Amino acid sequence: MNARVSSCGVLLALLLAPLPGSAAPGDAQRLARAAVAAGDNKGGSFAVVDKQLARVFVFKADGTLLASSPVLLGLARGDASVPGIGERKMSEIRPEERTTPAGRFTSEPGRNLSGEDIVWVDYDAAVSMHRVRPNVKAERRLERLATPTAADNRITYGCINVPVAFYDTYVEPALGHRQGVVYVLPEMPGGGKTLGLPAE
Amino acid sequence: MTKTSTLIAVLTLGAAGAAFAQGNPPTTAPANPATGAGQQSPAGGAMGTTGTTPQNNSATTGTSSSGSSQSSGSMSSGTGTSTGAGTGTGSDTNTMASSSQPTRAARADRN
Repeated sequence: MNARVSSCGVLLALLLAPLPGSAAPGDAQRLARAAVAAGDNKGGSFAVVDKQLARVFVFKADGTLLASSPVLLGLARGDASVPGIGERKMSEIRPEERTTPAGRFTSEPGRNLSGEDIVWVDYDAAVSMHRVRPNVKAERRLERLATPTAADNRITYGCINVPVAFYDTYVEPALGHRQGVVYVLPEMPGGGKTLGLPAE
Repeated sequence: MTKTSTLIAVLTLGAAGAAFAQGNPPTTAPANPATGAGQQSPAGGAMGTTGTTPQNNSATTGTSSSGSSQSSGSMSSGTGTSTGAGTGTGSDTNTMASSSQPTRAARADRN
């Protein structure tokens, strides 16, 4: 599942052009309103991930904000995925390759190899939104989610980690039963091109 | 073979035949798709249904129309806490392709 530049990419470009690479608190809300106005969410629930704030916003189909939560994101800064990274073992992924790609993604429910229900954001790149897994104690994933800062929320290999309760209450009902749309706001200058935005 | 054993053999054969005759004969046009039989090679003609429901992956195409830009900076952020409002998405009118089952093969994610 590749990032797809939507038919309203030009509209989104116009809306976000003054703010590419930035992440003012209103960016997610602004994008949500534009998406609904243009019908880009196909009448379904959707989510906006603000990487700079390390936060996900889940919206109802009509653009009403359901809830938001801190998330964990890829360790490395960047808005693209290395080609073929979805086929590589975790141990083969270098730190600088651990990015969470930005763009518009058609999400879909699925399962990983452990049988856990997840939401695929970019299936080909193996990027999903899932419940945080504090399996490696040294990574301190739960502690990172709990801190008020976003700077320490960069630890994953590219997936979007969500608090368990938030996932079960909002993400799974909104995106866990049908295809949806997940917008991941870019964090790098020029990263807006993944949302159909012109490079700076 | 005694008369008794002959009688038992005849009765057994009769019972088996009756049971066999009451089974559903193969058909390529079953009333219930889940009980279909008589599948053939796809190259050789129609296959009986297997009872599986085809996945409908065709998302409806939304119509793009120009929308208005409205800015709002009222969202809370950076607090490290989850905020929620609302009662779920049960009332959503979702025209995306609906599927309660995963359509992609399970694979490892990037955690």
